[in-house]
Amino acid sequence: MPTALSSTDPWRAVRDVGHLLWFRAATGRRRVSRAVLLIVLALTTAIAVVPAFVERPDERTLDVLIVLPTALAAFLLLSVVSGLASGGGRELLPRDQGVAYPLSPTTDHLGALLLTPLNVAWLVQTWALLGATAYAVGPAGVFGAQVVVILWIVLASSAAQAIAWAAEGVRRVPGGHLVLRGLGVLAAATAGWLYFTDRLSAFLDGLATRSLVLGAVSLGEGNAGQWIRTVAILLLAIPLLVAAGAVAAHLAARRHPRDELRIESETRTARKAPRSDLLALLRLDRASVWRVVPMRRGIMVLALGPGLVGVAGGLDWAQMTILPGLVASGGALLFGVNAWCLEGRGVLWRESLPVDPSVVFDARVVVLLEFLLVASGITVLLAALRAGVPNPGELAAILCTWLVVVLQVVSASMRWSAKRPFAVDLRSARATPAPPGVMVGYSARLAVSTTLTSLIFSGLARLPVWELSVLVALPFVAVSGVRVLRARAVWLDPEQRVRIVSAVAG
Amino acid sequence: MPPPDSRPVVDVRSLHVRFGEVAAVSGVDLQGHAGQATALLGRNGAGKSTTMRVLAGVVPPTAGEVHVAGFDVHTHTLAVKRLVGYCPDVGGLVPRATPWEHLQLAARLRRLDDWEARGRDLLERFELGDVAHRITAGFSHGMGRRLSVVLAALHEPEVLLLDEPFDGVDPIGVEATFDIIGDARARGACVLVSTHLRELAIQACGTVLVMRGGARVATMDAADMHGEDGARAYRALLD
Repeated sequence: MPTALSSTDPWRAVRDVGHLLWFRAATGRRRVSRAVLLIVLALTTAIAVVPAFVERPDERTLDVLIVLPTALAAFLLLSVVSGLASGGGRELLPRDQGVAYPLSPTTDHLGALLLTPLNVAWLVQTWALLGATAYAVGPAGVFGAQVVVILWIVLASSAAQAIAWAAEGVRRVPGGHLVLRGLGVLAAATAGWLYFTDRLSAFLDGLATRSLVLGAVSLGEGNAGQWIRTVAILLLAIPLLVAAGAVAAHLAARRHPRDELRIESETRTARKAPRSDLLALLRLDRASVWRVVPMRRGIMVLALGPGLVGVAGGLDWAQMTILPGLVASGGALLFGVNAWCLEGRGVLWRESLPVDPSVVFDARVVVLLEFLLVASGITVLLAALRAGVPNPGELAAILCTWLVVVLQVVSASMRWSAKRPFAVDLRSARATPAPPGVMVGYSARLAVSTTLTSLIFSGLARLPVWELSVLVALPFVAVSGVRVLRARAVWLDPEQRVRIVSAVAG
Repeated sequence: MPPPDSRPVVDVRSLHVRFGEVAAVSGVDLQGHAGQATALLGRNGAGKSTTMRVLAGVVPPTAGEVHVAGFDVHTHTLAVKRLVGYCPDVGGLVPRATPWEHLQLAARLRRLDDWEARGRDLLERFELGDVAHRITAGFSHGMGRRLSVVLAALHEPEVLLLDEPFDGVDPIGVEATFDIIGDARARGACVLVSTHLRELAIQACGTVLVMRGGARVATMDAADMHGEDGARAYRALLD
């Protein structure tokens, strides 16, 4: 892969992105993709416009306007965290497929930037910003304000991508991971200091995004000059940040991915032989999960991020019920939605071993279950630090939510893994277990089902009868159990199993 | 050639395998005997690997009869898997597990006792002793192939199936694979080797079965495939 920048490189890279997009479109389900794109665009337009025309009290619009600068800054922060976790964003063409083509890091960077919206978390945040802006400014200023917000979203995504590439470059130099960890600790300590010394509000009030909001509303207030200045600054900054990202991508591409190479060259201590078939398969599956860079990094971000937000936000037990579903859904997107891809091409050899296929299925379910339980458990424990001692109703609600949503996610994952298996190499931190478009569908479905379930238990947490949560949880558990058994039946069918194995083996 | 009255260890009659609209194998007949090594030769897509996968119990046959050591692969798949040692054509290794962990899993599922000494010996013979505790994701293609042969041979199987065992393998690995095939034949195992490398196939095996378009087109002595004449005969069978 050529890594040197040249004056012709950006235009060539733009053309190459076009070729890759065409290739991806040709190999995907075009009609479905087009329909989904139209729905998302229609939904986004509706969210950006309709709230401006609803009846709303002045004090509510003012409240929303006041938190808008913080929301815009939070969007940038979350985009940066997401970019850092994925090692520079998603790949338009997976690395193992792209090695045969002369694709530059600029192409890779632009492709990753283009794929940014194919992420439900990004879409939900975007919709929240657009909806809040429309609600706050009303019909007169909605057009001008949304132009500024959309440009900010593009700018924040570009900046996050550039920061992510720069961090990836640092991570690839000797000791770089220590530098990044140090910066992470410093950022967390600063946030903690601001919070515990009651300086957080003053800090948030001083954010540069406040000027952005003032610029956004200025057109509606008749101050076209300020609006034009704001838009011009954003329009100028976006290409600069995109270019900075390209430079950082080139710098990163010149170095070896140290995390991945370290894990692949480490000598492992041999352990005693396992005492049962299930334990032997569990050991293999656990190795396939915990020795993969994206899993480690992803689960750390997923477990700690929402937990720390929960601590900072001082969530009560009822509000906390939303967290396990969020984390479990994210965890499943690391590998669970294509669970049979863990062995890669080794699946053929594993299939030739004399073991009951039901044991193979059970081991995979256990590993996915424990992965999601551990991650969401850490989040709940962190968030619980400031929530005080729960009453029996709150405790039952949070425990039932935890169990129910994790089982929901496991059952959905095993179902999808059997229905649409993909051959993927999870070696790279940027790899995903399914193509980007499919991942959007999976994440949307998981987000909707787990959020709705969590809301039910959130309501139950406010009731004094703990038994109610248990009673409500039972049918959810039963449905998930039946679905897992159905996925198991598919796996046990030799014809279906060979379809899955052949697809995963590539 | 086996004596005419000996019962084949591998007995394939009119094997058909379909994947949706695609017929991967259409009417293969194949017999493999104890102590005999048979090479499957043919162009890409001839059905060699699919036939091997059926014999390994990984792919169920669509039609036809397939017996391994008297067991029907369709109804006694687990019994067949216990008897067979299989080196798949692609990958064949779990990327995040070490060679030793692969051996541990195979030994556990095959109920092997006291396998460690043989496992170490095989790894040394294939020059993989130094990397026994490193995950296989960092292995070269040739190293992966060599480890796949080790895994197939660990339990001294009654039927040894080697699919493209020489692909990308250095001369030392090729020699070690020859030794494995020789050992297997000596102890009375039936060996099937699928490969594109005619010269290596005829060095390792006594019988050659040529496949084309999912079916068998010829079975001949390996000696008849030697040299320029053999190359011409083989070429004629492929066209």
